[in-house]
Formats: sequence, C-alpha cells, structure tokens
Amino acid sequence: MGLLTILKKMKQKEKEVRLLMLGLDNAGKTTILKKFNGEDINTISPTLGFNIKTLEHRGFKLNVWDVGGQRSLRSYWRNYFECTDGLIWVVDSADRMRLQDCKQELHSLLLEERLAGSTLLVFANKQDLPGSLSSEDIRKTLDLDNIKSHHWRILPCSAVTGENLLDGVDWIIDDIASRIFTMD
Amino acid sequence: MTERLQKRDDKRKLNIENKKEDREAPIREKCEHFHDNLSKEIDEIERDVSRSSSLTKTELIDHFDGLTVRLQKAQKFLSEATLFLPSYDISKATESLSKLQNMLQDKRNELMPKKKFAFKSKKASEGDGKKTKNLSTKDDAHKKSTKNEPCILADCKFVDEDGKNLSMDPSQINQKDVALARLKHCVVKLYGSPSAIHVNELEDCKIFCGPVSGSIFIRECKNCVFILSCQQLRIHTTEFTNFYIHVTSKAIIEDSHDVQFAPYNWNYPGIAEHFKLSGLDKERNNWDDIDDFNWLAVDAHSPNWSLVAPEQRKNWDP
Repeated sequence: MGLLTILKKMKQKEKEVRLLMLGLDNAGKTTILKKFNGEDINTISPTLGFNIKTLEHRGFKLNVWDVGGQRSLRSYWRNYFECTDGLIWVVDSADRMRLQDCKQELHSLLLEERLAGSTLLVFANKQDLPGSLSSEDIRKTLDLDNIKSHHWRILPCSAVTGENLLDGVDWIIDDIASRIFTMD
Repeated sequence: MTERLQKRDDKRKLNIENKKEDREAPIREKCEHFHDNLSKEIDEIERDVSRSSSLTKTELIDHFDGLTVRLQKAQKFLSEATLFLPSYDISKATESLSKLQNMLQDKRNELMPKKKFAFKSKKASEGDGKKTKNLSTKDDAHKKSTKNEPCILADCKFVDEDGKNLSMDPSQINQKDVALARLKHCVVKLYGSPSAIHVNELEDCKIFCGPVSGSIFIRECKNCVFILSCQQLRIHTTEFTNFYIHVTSKAIIEDSHDVQFAPYNWNYPGIAEHFKLSGLDKERNNWDDIDDFNWLAVDAHSPNWSLVAPEQRKNWDP
C-alpha cells in the first residue's frame, strides 16, 4: 500500500462526521432525526436509550447519535462524547417552565473536555406551535452569547414542518468541514 | 499533513496509555477514594445549604446556583464511578445525592419562593434590559387574574387557580399549545385538538382533553385524574394519579409512583371531528404499555404503575 492509498483512505474516513444530538426530553430530537431522514414521524415513542442513523448528505457521511433526554438518562450522555465533531442541542421552544433546566444542562455540557472543539448548533424547535418562544428569546435565556469555547449558532426550526432542518445541518457540516477537512 | 498524522498518532498513544493506567489501578482503592471524596463533598454542600438562611437576597441566587453546579459535579463524579462501583454502593450514593438535591430544592423554595417561575424572575434579576423587566411585572399582574386576558407565558393557559371549573373551546385551542400550571382542586375541560400541552404542578385536579396531535408533558402532579389522548405522553415526578389515555406511541413515566392507567373514555359532541383534525389513529391505542424510566428490568413489572381494574373505571359527563 503506497502513501497515496493511505492518504486516500484517511480522507475517505475523514469525510465522516459524527453528530451528537442532545437536549431535554420532549425537545423533539428523534423527530428531527426522522424528519431529516424522510421517515414517518407519527409513531415516535419517547427514546429509551438511543438511536443511531448514518446518512449521506452532500458527499458527507453523517453519523447522527440521538440520545434520550429523560433525567434518568442524562448521566449516560457522557458515554457518547468521544469523537464528536458537532453537537446539536435541541430545545422545546414552548416549554417555558424548563428553560432554566435546559440552560444548566447545556452549559455543563460545554465544560466537557471531550466536547471541546466541537461545533454547537442550537435548534429552537417547535416553532410551529403558536406559543413557542422565538430563537432570539431562547438565545437570551440560554445565555448563548457567553459561549466563547465553541463555534455556535442558533436556528429556529420545526421538526413537524421540516423548516430550517436542512439549513441547520448544512451550517454545522460547513463549520466542521472548514475546521477538519482542510485538504479539499 | 505529516504533522497532523503525527499528532493524531501521539494522541492515540496517549489515550491507550491513559486507559492502561486506569485499568491497572486497583479497584478497591478507587472505591475508597470515591467514597471519601463523595461523602466529603456531600457534607460540605449540606453545610452550605443550611447556611443559606443567613444570606441576603442578592447573594442567594449565586449561592444556590453555585450549589447546584457542585451538586451536578458530584452527580457526574458518581456516574463516572458507576464503571467500577458495586451496584449497592451506586444506589446508596444515588439516594444520598437525591436527598441532598431535595434539600437544596426545599431550601431554595423556602428562601426564594418566586424562583419557581425561574425563567421570568431570573431574567429580570439579571437585568437583561428594560423590555424583559416590563414583561415580568406585567406577568406578575397576570398571575392574579389570568382568565380572559391575553397571555404572556403562552397563548392558552390556566395558571394559579383554586377550586374552579375551567374550560376552553375549539376556537381557542385548536392547533395551539396549551399550558396548565399550579392549579388546585380544579376541573379543566379542553374541548378541541391542541398541538401540545405542558402541565406543571397540579393538585387534586381533573383534566379532560380532546385529541392532541403532538405530545403532552406532565410534571409534579398529585392526586389528579387525567383523561387525555395524544401521540406522546411523558409523566414525571407524579404520584397518586390516574390516567385515562389514548396514546398512539408509548407513554412513559419517570420518578413517579402510584400512577394507574385505563383506556380513554371521554366523549363530547364533535370529538370525532377533532380526532380527524389531530391525525391520531383511533384504532391504535397503547394505553396499557408504559415505559418506566426508573425500572429497566424486563423480567419484572414496575412497582410504580398499574392498570385500573375494569370495574373501577369511572365514566364521565361530556
């Protein structure tokens, strides 16, 4: 095997992007994943454990890990941190009572050493609900402007209508690619 | 390029090295180290919690936030230790941490009662600007008489009511999200098909609701009866409560006990139309298939939930 072959192999491998999707329970993580993948979203049960999906998108191989958000599962999130290129944090924009919980969980995640260097995309989900907060409100409440440790962006979205899901994923891939795949 | 390869390789080697060291450390020593550290931290947090009463209001916020962070760290410490700890030790440690969590929560509620609506008061106290301050004062005014006034918290809601019969009709709630919070001794009837419902802190209430196209999230309820149909149902920290449900996916409970389930049996003129609007499958009802997130054993039934015996099921007026 020549050097070129090795390099090619590495490059192929590096076109793989590992995305970790977290957030409080009822945020809509699984629904986002399934909607993005074009699957039926009407039969989704609360996630006991996790879902993994491998998607092809714009020539990238996306390994998306969707881990359940119930309180009893959150202590297991750490098992999925390794090798994460991008973190997608999903927020139920209509769940005003738990936004402080949401903020705390997010900020303690960002202290994680193994997530250092990953790109953060915040989805202000459930924009289809009339009572949902705008992404602007969520940005303030979650104190995103104080995040200096990660590249981040917040986008309003709706897993039900599909609004902005593609834009969000495109952004996170672009950001990751500009950091990692400099060879192109 | 080669530099990057080299770096990767170094990192990998370092990782392997670290893991090796981890494995070689004798497990007993780790356990002792764990117990010493955890009990020390628990003692310290406990002491700080009991010291809270002597602080001023402004100090309290930081004080409690700091304690919460420390508690979380302790929890993380524990979850990392689950790799080598015997299961008895894990459950012991979990228990003392959750006790501490409750103690902290109680103290917080006692000293900063407004804090319950953490989202608003926090925002105001951080002085995020005039606009949010205005909002929160307006919200305070609304807390006293929420009915028939425009909502600030959500489009449709009932908050802070006691001993009332409340209802909303389809024109108010169809395809909207509804919030119910801090109700006592109330009967709530929601005629129509909302998109989602968030329920917090109800006591001795009866809640009736038409078909919900999305999810219902319930937290901290006691001695209630819910008659609901929806796609997803999540029940947290709830006790002594009965659920008459139509759920097309699977309902879950967490940190709950003494909850019972029966099939959905509310009927009112127009409900068939609302079922159509919600898109729920009427033929598909998993009312008796509940996941308990605190009970992962497959070979034994969770002690936290059961079914209402057919002869004990109640019937309701529209």
